[in-house]
Amino acid sequence: MTALITLKGVNKYYGDYHALRDIDLTINTGEFFSLLGPSGCGKTTLLRTIAGLEDVSDGVVMIGGKDMRGVSANLRPTNMVFQSYAIFPHLSVAENVAFGLRKRTDLNKDDKAKMVEDALAMVGLSGYGKRASHALSGGQRQRVALARALILKPKVLLLDEPLSALDKKMREQMQVELIRLQRHVGITFILVTHDQEEALVMSDRIAVMFEGEIGQLADPETLYRRPNSRRVAEFIGKMNFLRADVLQVGDTIDVDVAGLGRVSVNAEQAPMALHKGAAVAGVRPETLAILFAGETTERKLIDGVVDEVVYYGDMTYYDVRIAGVDQPLNIAMKNLIGRPVLDVGTRTKVVWDERSLVILA
Amino acid sequence: MSLRIYAIAYLVFLYAPIVLLPIFAFNDATIIAFPLSGFTTDWFGELMTNRSLHTAVKNSLFIAVMTAVLSTLLGICAARAGAMYHFPVKAGIMGFIMLPLVLPEIIVAVSLLVVVVQIFDMGLSNWTIIAAHVLICTPFCIAILNGAFQNLDPSLEEAAMDLGESRFSAFRLVTLPLVMPGIISSMLIAFTISLDEFIIAFFLSGTSQTMPVYIWGLMRFPASLPVVMALGTIMVALSIILLTIAELLRRRGMARAGVKDKGGFL
Repeated sequence: MTALITLKGVNKYYGDYHALRDIDLTINTGEFFSLLGPSGCGKTTLLRTIAGLEDVSDGVVMIGGKDMRGVSANLRPTNMVFQSYAIFPHLSVAENVAFGLRKRTDLNKDDKAKMVEDALAMVGLSGYGKRASHALSGGQRQRVALARALILKPKVLLLDEPLSALDKKMREQMQVELIRLQRHVGITFILVTHDQEEALVMSDRIAVMFEGEIGQLADPETLYRRPNSRRVAEFIGKMNFLRADVLQVGDTIDVDVAGLGRVSVNAEQAPMALHKGAAVAGVRPETLAILFAGETTERKLIDGVVDEVVYYGDMTYYDVRIAGVDQPLNIAMKNLIGRPVLDVGTRTKVVWDERSLVILA
Repeated sequence: MSLRIYAIAYLVFLYAPIVLLPIFAFNDATIIAFPLSGFTTDWFGELMTNRSLHTAVKNSLFIAVMTAVLSTLLGICAARAGAMYHFPVKAGIMGFIMLPLVLPEIIVAVSLLVVVVQIFDMGLSNWTIIAAHVLICTPFCIAILNGAFQNLDPSLEEAAMDLGESRFSAFRLVTLPLVMPGIISSMLIAFTISLDEFIIAFFLSGTSQTMPVYIWGLMRFPASLPVVMALGTIMVALSIILLTIAELLRRRGMARAGVKDKGGFL
């Protein structure tokens, strides 16, 4: 794996507003990389500094080993799919896709027409060339934007919230298609999204951003299982937080967790540097379970009372109160055969395991 | 019901005098009064042979064309900046540019006369009128062009740049075709406003008169009133045609940019 894009100490100010704070980042060739964060966290600004649509106030952006300072967007080996798709409304589909080829004097008309047709075929829009672009649906516009950017064979394709304007079904379909397309063309994709699920599904690596900083940079599994801060844990998926008291830090870490008692976890479960004293223990809803009648377990059990039931069809989410904890525990249960949906107020047993805990300062 | 009567009375009051123009322009009598005496096109014929009128018309056309071009150029700059960029005290600046819209023309005329003659000690010419007309037309141009630019997705120009075009060719290839109907519409409006503007032209015209000033001069001679009526008829027709074209172009521009019409001047 070779580094394609390197950012060193990148800062961006808008007047007094500090939009990007000391961003250091390396993105590899052929990688599907995501910038994930809540709105206003600077992820789009970061993407635009890579595209050259935004100058950096301070720091270095390198693409393919070249310093991009002073290189404007039209001269960078990047192409972008805009959030609004930015399809030129006065041009046909084929004219839109061919727009970037205008400067290519080495190609004749037939070559260009062939390239346009190939690009449209790649995104599943064969034969749409003559259509007027304002007559396209949202999904089709997105495909045209993809074809228009990919026809130039950029080193990097930048995608700014490309799926946010689509409905849920279409979005899920396009997620799979984008992954397939990225593997097919082998180009580095950088995706900006606020949808944590989308980032988890699509990315090789994800940078989670908050207030202009990268909070955590990791592969999806690490990000989900070992978030390195409470805000990352809150942003990615659901997590129950329990008060915890760190008793001893060593090869293993001894913690007294509210409601669960004293446990010993290994160092991997503590991604942040811990000190003795107050901390929080995080546990994902699906790593807890309710022990239904007739089921057995060798794991630890704790008594609880069902406080809330949310039925999703394939899953049921229970809020279960346990002694010594203010917030009820959120527990996700698959609705397997023979499992009833419990009523509020049912006395039950919660199955838990210290291996699923994450201890955060 | 009473509201309907009011509305009709209102419209009659507004437009009846204008309807009188063509009626008397074709009336075969020098006195402007009913009953009509007969049909004639003599008054229009007289227009064709009047030398000093032709000079006035030429002056007016020159001033109107220059005003249309200059105020539209300024309008494009202001509307684009207003739609695409954020800068300090933007609202204040935009407000100041739009101010001539509510400024009495006589104030513009008198103050410009003072500035040109007393302060700069320059002579009055067509160009002094053009300067003043640009001042009063630019707000109208901005109002029209704002519609064209604000409906434009700012990503469009960025996308063109991202696809290899320079900032200027991105504007030329993407923005310009999309706002062109707005530009033409703006030029037509500025042209129409300038063509029939009287007060400023009266104060600032040098040796050569504009058409409205010439017409005002004719009013002193009752015998020439039917000629004025004929000229007025032509100007009303021209204004209606130009404004209609301007509005049609504005609507087409809206449709081309793929947005819902939010109402315009007409």
